[in-house]
Formats: sequence, C-alpha cells, structure tokens
Amino acid sequence: MTMNSNRQGKKRFFVLSIFFFIWIFMIAFKLFNMQVLDYTTYMAKVKAQINRVEELHSKRGTISDRNGEILAISLLSKSAFISNKDNALSLVVFKKICALLALGNSQKINVVKRIRRGEKFIWIKRKLTDEEYLQVKALTLSKDAAGTIDFIDEYRRVYPQKKIASHILGGVGIDEQALGGIETSLDTEIKGRGGKLKVLIDARKRIFQFKYIEQPVTGRDIHLSIDAALQFFVERELAAAVDKYRAAGGAVVVLSSRDGQVLAMASNPDYCPENIWRTPLPVLKNKAISFLYDPGSTFKIVLAAAALENRICSLGEMFNCHNGVYRVKDRQITDVHPFDRLSFEDIFIQSSNIGAACIGQRLGEEKYFQAIQKFGFGRRNGIMLPAEENGILNPLAKWSGVSLAFLSHGYEISVTPLQMAVAFNVLASGGFFIRPNIIMNDTPGGSQARVLSAANQRRLTEILTAAVSRGTGKKAGIAGLEIAGKTGTAHKVKRGQYTRSYVASFGGFFPAHDPQVTVFVMIDEPQGLHFGGDVAAPVFKAITEKIMLYLKLFPDMPGENEIRI
Amino acid sequence: MNSKGRSLADFRLAILAFFIFLVLFIYSSLNLKNVDLGYRQHELLLAEKTLRLEIDSLQARRAELLNLERMEKIVVEKLGYQYPEAGQIIKVIVDDNE
Repeated sequence: MTMNSNRQGKKRFFVLSIFFFIWIFMIAFKLFNMQVLDYTTYMAKVKAQINRVEELHSKRGTISDRNGEILAISLLSKSAFISNKDNALSLVVFKKICALLALGNSQKINVVKRIRRGEKFIWIKRKLTDEEYLQVKALTLSKDAAGTIDFIDEYRRVYPQKKIASHILGGVGIDEQALGGIETSLDTEIKGRGGKLKVLIDARKRIFQFKYIEQPVTGRDIHLSIDAALQFFVERELAAAVDKYRAAGGAVVVLSSRDGQVLAMASNPDYCPENIWRTPLPVLKNKAISFLYDPGSTFKIVLAAAALENRICSLGEMFNCHNGVYRVKDRQITDVHPFDRLSFEDIFIQSSNIGAACIGQRLGEEKYFQAIQKFGFGRRNGIMLPAEENGILNPLAKWSGVSLAFLSHGYEISVTPLQMAVAFNVLASGGFFIRPNIIMNDTPGGSQARVLSAANQRRLTEILTAAVSRGTGKKAGIAGLEIAGKTGTAHKVKRGQYTRSYVASFGGFFPAHDPQVTVFVMIDEPQGLHFGGDVAAPVFKAITEKIMLYLKLFPDMPGENEIRI
Repeated sequence: MNSKGRSLADFRLAILAFFIFLVLFIYSSLNLKNVDLGYRQHELLLAEKTLRLEIDSLQARRAELLNLERMEKIVVEKLGYQYPEAGQIIKVIVDDNE
C-alpha cells in the first residue's frame, strides 16, 4: 500500500514537473522571442508608447529699473484653439465663446470660414488673461463643448508700469519677437534659448523618467539704469508741456552727472508697450536718440568751451554785437535783443548770435571742428538702444564761407537730444566726455575722456549759472538752488529748408557747484510761445523740482524754512 | 546516493534558489525604486516650475499694484496729499554738537 502510494506520488510529481518545465519553457521561449528575435518590433512599439519629446519654451528675461522695480516680465498664459473634429459642434461652441471674449468682427468671420472649410487647427485667441482663460475653461468642461476647445501654453509679455519708459523698453509681438527698444537691442540675450526634454511616460501618461536633449536657457534679466519714479515724473511734465504748447512732440534726457548713467529718457508722443504692434511708426520713434534738429543756442556751450580751451578769448573781453544785425557774406545773422557791445560772458548769458559768430570767426574752422568732435557730435553715443542717429556734422571740406558763423550759434549741424545732454554733462562731470549708458550691468561710467580743463569747466559753469539767474534761462531758476543752464531756440529744417517752425530746448545741471544731475529738454514745434527760455526752461524747472524732492537734493534754504534740532 | 548526500544536494539547490531570488529581488526593487524616484523627480520639477511661475505672477501683480500712476491717484485723490510747492519744504538740520 505504502509502495503503491509512493510510486503514484512520484508519478504525479513527474507529470507536474513536466507541465511545469513546459510552462517555463513556453515563457522562456516567448521572452526569447520578444527580447531577441522580435526585439526591434517590440522595442519600437514600447518606444512609441512611452517615449515623448517635449519642447521647452524659453522665457524672456525680466527687465527692471535701477531699484529692481519690474518694467517687463513674461508670464505663462494659455492660448485657445479649436481642434475642429465636428464642424457643426465647433460653430456652436465658437458662438458661445464669442460672448465671452472680445473678438474683432473680421476675426470672427475668419474663424467661422475656417471652421466651415474643415481646418483642424484654428486659433481663437492667443495669450488669454487669467480671467478669460477661466471663462473659456469653464465652457470647455461642459458636456456640449467637450473636446472642441484646447489650450497651448505660451509666454505673455507684461509691462506693469504701462506707458512708463515705453520708448526705452520697446515691446514684443504676438510670437515674442522683439519690435523695438531694449527688447530689440538686447534680444539675443533677453530671449534665451528653448530646449528639448525626452520623457518616458507610463500607461497613465505620467512621466517617470526624463532627460534633457537640449537644456533650455532662460533669457538674461536686464537692469536698466533708469529710475521708474523719475521716468514717471519726467514723462508727465513733458506730456503736460507738449499738451500746453500744442507741440508736435518732445524729448527729455536725464543723466547722472558723475557717471553718465541715464536716469530717465522720455519721448513724446508715447505708447503702451503691450500694444506696440498697433502703434503708428512715427509714435514709435524715440525722439531722444532719433530726432535730428539744429540745436540753436544750446550749442554755444561748445563754442564757449573751445574758445576758453584754445585761449582765444579772455573773460571780460568785449565784443561788438553790431546792434542786432550782422552780415556774413550774403547771409544775415540777427539777435532777438539787439546789443551794441557785450562781454565774452554776456554773449552766452544773453545768448547773442552775433557775438557767438564773432567768437567763432576768431576761433577758426579747424579748432572749432575739433572741439565739436570732442563733445561727441557727428557720431552715435553707442547707447544700447536701436535707431540711434549719428547726427549730421559736415566734414571741414564741405564747410561754406558762412558755416563757421552759423555753427557758432547752433545751425548747419544736426544733433539728437541725447547728444546735447551728453555735451552738457561734459561741463557737469568736471570736463569729461562720458559715454552714456542705460544698462546697470555695464561698467559704470563707460569710457571717459577729458575735453575741458577743470579751470575752464568752472568758468563755463559760472557763465551758465548766470544765464539762469539773470540771462535767458530765468524761468528754469529755483530759489536757493544753483542751476547752470542754457536756452536754445532754432528754426526747424523741413525738406532741406529752414521753416517758421521752431524747436525749443534747455539744457542744464544742478547743483552747479557739485553737479549731480544733468537734464536736457527739447520741445518740437511749440505753438504760441516758441523760445527755449519760455517753453523748455519751465519744463526743466518742473522736472528739477521733482528730482530734488526725490533725490533729496534740498537747496540751501532761506532761514525761515530751516529747523535745527 | 544516500539520504545525507541527497539532503546536501537539496540544501545547495535551496541556497541557489534563494540566491537567484535575492538577486532578482534586489534588481527589481532597485528598478522599482528608480522608477519611483523618476516620478518623484518629475513631480519636484513640476512643483519648481509651478512655484517659479507663481513667483513671476506675484511679482507682476506687485508691480501692477505699485504702478506709479495708480499710486499717485490713490495718494492724491483718496488720501488728499499734494506735492509740496516752493517754500513748503522744511529743511531739518540735526546738530551733532548738542
């Protein structure tokens, strides 16, 4: 009995083992088949199921002012499109969306046409705001619209300060392509580089392994040298003046006197960077660097500097001012207020064109030309903004018999407001030509070259201080604050001819004894009043008052406004 | 083969089976751990991205709230402040000698 059961047990074990080995063999064969014989086929299937390459968008760098206040930033947003699987359903859903989003009529018609044509990918609206996205998302979750609307992630450029510093910032288009300003000039650095991520996904589409094929590079953050608060004050004062004098526009440049950093740069008319693609081209022009005009009397500072440096005149020396009318060859130079004789200083304080012409003739073409070049005219300052003009300075060979006399009071040369601001800054910085810069990351101060001796700089500053306290620039004066400045009024050139339109300007710096800030104001075609002393000098004053408060540059107060504790 | 020899052979087989099991167990455990870490790593990557986006969004919101035009409107219209005019500024000098 025991022998029989043992034999039976062995037999069962033997049969079971055979089945077991067959089972193992089948599995092993299947595995061998999958892993070796049909490896390529199965591997391709696996790869198709779990492998995916994701495009990683690069994010544009943030632009901020010198205090870190954000001026431009990119935020992730959703763009909605119709994946048109069913024309009829798509039309119904699109009608509902039209009630939610503000879409133009032409766009609505276009989308409907494309749905009817059966196109499979139709943009509804790109870069939705958060509110718009939530509304559309709610609609897509409803049963009627399921699967009709889809979203893609895209970066949206936001300018939180709206119009402030629009000409400096520029703007970007719908595909984040730079369309002006610093966005254009530093585009390669700001935009960064997109990347690619290879991912492995499971059956539930969850990523369980990833590897960068191309590492994305985030755009570089840019710190501008401008101060958003100063920029705001400057833009507002400029806009008020342009409005008051019904002018064609204007520009203001504010520089830090010591290192040439741009603290503010305004151009009017302005625009909102978020709508740059809808803005007319003339409005996009940054007049501070692209507007060319004959500077008029503000340019006399170059003449005065050249005369003192070349020692062709001395302080107090008297000049014949021909009672307001002076002929140079076939041309006539006039003074607004006729003078018989004026001292060297008074020629600049009273802004006599005839006196300036006489000094210019004594100086000579070559020396004057060299001085003009040393002050940076006739070439770009190399500021990091697009469309900066060189200005127009004819080579000596092209100067006519009257060029010297006319250049002496700021005609026959075209400059930009920035070039004039930099020229005034030569006096404010102690006699150095400092290349202006607008990026904080750059070496502060840029290149410097001495243009004027310290002694002549002091002499010239005294003359310009007198021009504000008792000369043509009285309206720029602030009680208790020493301001050095010079007015300018010039006929505007249109199609190569001088016209009855004017450009009024005023340049100056303060406090005169220890300059901190240099300001240049230009108003294009003011109506009614047109003299620099009437139109631009008050703008300078208004801006200076704000800068004083903001930078705490308090003037030397009269006694009653002073408290000692 | 006597019973002693057979039990030794069984023991060796058992050791081999255990060793194979151990290798397979460690291999699959590490593999699973690896996959698990992959999930975790991706989750963290997403969390980091989400936080960065949130920071950007908050920074933009802060900048919008500090928009100078808006601030001025609040200060002037709601709080009734005004810019000081000439003569309204008082200079306070702290005398260190006293």
